[in-house]
Amino acid sequence: MRWILWLMLAASAAGQSNARLHACVVNAKEWVVGARLAGSGLFRLDGVAGWEQLGFVHPMILAADYDRGDPATLYLAAGNGLIRARDGGRHWRVTTGWEVTELRDVTADRFLAGTVYFAHTAGIRKSSDGGETWVDADAGIDQKYCESLQADRAQQGRILAGCVNGIFLSEDGGGRWRRTGAEGVQVRRVVQSPHRPMEWLAGTQMAGLLRSRDGGRTWEAAGDVAVERNVYDIAFDPGQEDRIAVGGWSTGVLVSEDNGKSWERRSKGLPRWDIWSLAFDPGKPGRLYASVHEEALHVSEDAGKSWRNAGFDGSYIYRLQFFPEAAK
Amino acid sequence: MIALMLALLLAPVPDFTERVKEVIAHNAQPAALETAGYATIAAKLWRKEDPDWCSRRLVEILREGPRGDMFWMFPVTAIAYLDKGQLSGAARRTLRDSWRTYMPFRGDTENHWLLYYTSMYLMAQKWPGEGGELWFNGKSSAENFKEAEEWILWWVDTTTRRGQGEYDCTHYIGVYVLPMSYLAAWAEDDTMRKRATMMLEYLLADYAAEQLDGIYVGSHARTDDQQVVEKWNGISSDLGWLLFGLGMHTPSYGSYPFYYAVASAYEPPEILKRIATERPDGVLHKELKRTRHRWRFHKEQNGEVYKTTYLRSDYAVGSDQGGLLQPVQQHSWDVTWKVKDPRGVHNTLFTMHPYSGLLELQAYFTFAPDPATEVVYRSKKSYDSPDKLLGGSPYEQIMQDRDTVIALYDIAPGARFPHINGFFSKDLSVVVEDESGWIFARGGDAWIAYYPLAPYSWKPIAGGGRRLFSPHLKNGVVLQVAAASEFATLEAFRDAIRKLPLEVQLQPAPAVRFRSLRGADLHFRYGQERDFSSWKLFDGPFLQAERNSGNLELRHGSQRRLLDFRTLTVEEK
Repeated sequence: MRWILWLMLAASAAGQSNARLHACVVNAKEWVVGARLAGSGLFRLDGVAGWEQLGFVHPMILAADYDRGDPATLYLAAGNGLIRARDGGRHWRVTTGWEVTELRDVTADRFLAGTVYFAHTAGIRKSSDGGETWVDADAGIDQKYCESLQADRAQQGRILAGCVNGIFLSEDGGGRWRRTGAEGVQVRRVVQSPHRPMEWLAGTQMAGLLRSRDGGRTWEAAGDVAVERNVYDIAFDPGQEDRIAVGGWSTGVLVSEDNGKSWERRSKGLPRWDIWSLAFDPGKPGRLYASVHEEALHVSEDAGKSWRNAGFDGSYIYRLQFFPEAAK
Repeated sequence: MIALMLALLLAPVPDFTERVKEVIAHNAQPAALETAGYATIAAKLWRKEDPDWCSRRLVEILREGPRGDMFWMFPVTAIAYLDKGQLSGAARRTLRDSWRTYMPFRGDTENHWLLYYTSMYLMAQKWPGEGGELWFNGKSSAENFKEAEEWILWWVDTTTRRGQGEYDCTHYIGVYVLPMSYLAAWAEDDTMRKRATMMLEYLLADYAAEQLDGIYVGSHARTDDQQVVEKWNGISSDLGWLLFGLGMHTPSYGSYPFYYAVASAYEPPEILKRIATERPDGVLHKELKRTRHRWRFHKEQNGEVYKTTYLRSDYAVGSDQGGLLQPVQQHSWDVTWKVKDPRGVHNTLFTMHPYSGLLELQAYFTFAPDPATEVVYRSKKSYDSPDKLLGGSPYEQIMQDRDTVIALYDIAPGARFPHINGFFSKDLSVVVEDESGWIFARGGDAWIAYYPLAPYSWKPIAGGGRRLFSPHLKNGVVLQVAAASEFATLEAFRDAIRKLPLEVQLQPAPAVRFRSLRGADLHFRYGQERDFSSWKLFDGPFLQAERNSGNLELRHGSQRRLLDFRTLTVEEK
């Protein structure tokens, strides 16, 4: 019965009318290791109070996810390791040791509380006890550096990884992986559609956007979008079935209203066309956030047709994510 | 003025104890006390003076907010251990609390990690039995201590079996010596103190065998734009002066030598001093090192680096095998000549290919592709410059036989900078472009013959000297050095070099056949297979160690000193 509860929690996060935007921020202009660093770390947007920083200043938090059994527990993929941030992100514990560094991504299992995976510079690790212990979970991946990781929200045990040499799929909770596409290509992001669970998109380094319609088993080019560009993020609009946004370097924000058949550049008002991260607001139809490199967070109320500054001037945001209100 | 300079140059070097005191005194007496930092507090605590000021100032600085990550951790750790009852309760509490409220970044290099984990080891030792709620990372004192100890043991083991990762750095040598000095002084565990003391000897022996009057010579994992040409101007020279009385220190004595002094102030054993200061003319020294961690594009996370250094009384020639062995700040080969006063002198000559690109940055860093070069440029201004003189290249291969170097370049079409740069110092006393194709030069008491394989032109260098600019993809240089004492005149040297058989070809790949001044028949072709399987960890008259041995034998005359890290023993013979 417990898994049903977790599934319901997951569904509520996906439905997300009560979701809160979280930002993994680097206020990094001119920053190098050892320099003073202000305003970097994990932030949460509260509608009334604005942005609140959660936990410590840290220069390298690349991604976050929440535990499906306890949404008030966040897992942060950070430079210093995998950080478990309890009480909605306030109380941190680095759960990993010296064996891993400069984590790239984190994804929590959608069905099993306390099960979480992270990608790091030399592979993938898994915990089944909320980060108390970790084991290697990257057998079958030939070149271990993986930039992106996402657990399948519809089928237990399925995870996709975007790595330095292609896209890998595990169907047994990270026990074994096999490459299913993009061999020879660095993959920066893999994202599952919230509407059609068998549909996935992958953003690559110099090979554009890839699409899978069979749950990540096979991949094909998703048209001519962002070809010879580096795709940094992909966002499906949870409130509009066929709307997708893609962002990368020199691409601006590209939006499709027909599930990827055609794309329109919607960058009017953005100070530059270099995009780190994108997120649709599940509670506000048409609201789209974009992190612009070392300029600011920008927000659009019309799915990218116009933009305005939304704070974090001079910064960039590795990842924008909505988590349930319960995480507060 | 001249008399004063002469007097300074001829003044006797104070002994080790006096040098230690001099470094500490310099830091204890800053120009402006009201803005003095952690180093002054540490110096005063060491000298047991002004405890009230130390306490007050420490609280002020900490309340301004810690900054600097691991570079914050190591001075604060020193202060905690130098306190010895001098600091006020408030200062001590503020210091303790800063390790709960400030999260230092662990960094991305071994020098960062060694500072970080040494500090964590010592502070967890200082505050044992405390829970995770009192530490920034949420781990208990016991957990922090264990993790730090494990990594330090890993680093010692890996270094003594496979070689150092950030090897032979003009600046970062200080960042490795400092943590070992801390552990040698302040670790409560006897074995850790012993291990750290042995590692100090290990690191200093590595340096002692490859310096010329205190100047770190040959190839370096890391140096910088200034020190690559003014080789004296780094922490290594400060250490040479402090530890061995060699050469000259920089005006500030260097921060790392200072913290070395206030911690263990370990005085090297006699044999190490003799290696540093008593050397015959003509020493061939070889070493095995490691690349920095390579996250992408390579099967081995740490590749092997094969170093050769040949030292004579008046000059030294050193090299690695070429290739991208380290990111951004690699220096692969040079000749360095001895000078009486190295301050402001560019006493070196070398050639390199100015490479920049994602193959390098994404192998060694986690950078996203697009901002990578710009991010590096912010702290390493020359990185993406065609004029630069610093960095390795995937298109460079080097071989060395004593004081002969052959460096070949086969630059891929489309490479960002399709040329090579040769550094010809302002301090060369002679430069003659001979009709034979050789360029003859003199630096100090060294004759240098330089044969460019492809046409070139000269470009001025800001700060003095000239850059040999050769915009040809198939390229290279043959370098032969000799002592001025071997040839009375330039003409005699020129005649000797011109008689040496030399065959050069550039297609399909650069290749050279050359009989060196020492009688060696050298054949080297770009891309040829080379067998380094018998290359030892250390192989020279002063240092000997087999691969994977976990030990190092120091030799000088009939003296022997074996550092065995497997048994943590030091055996004297």
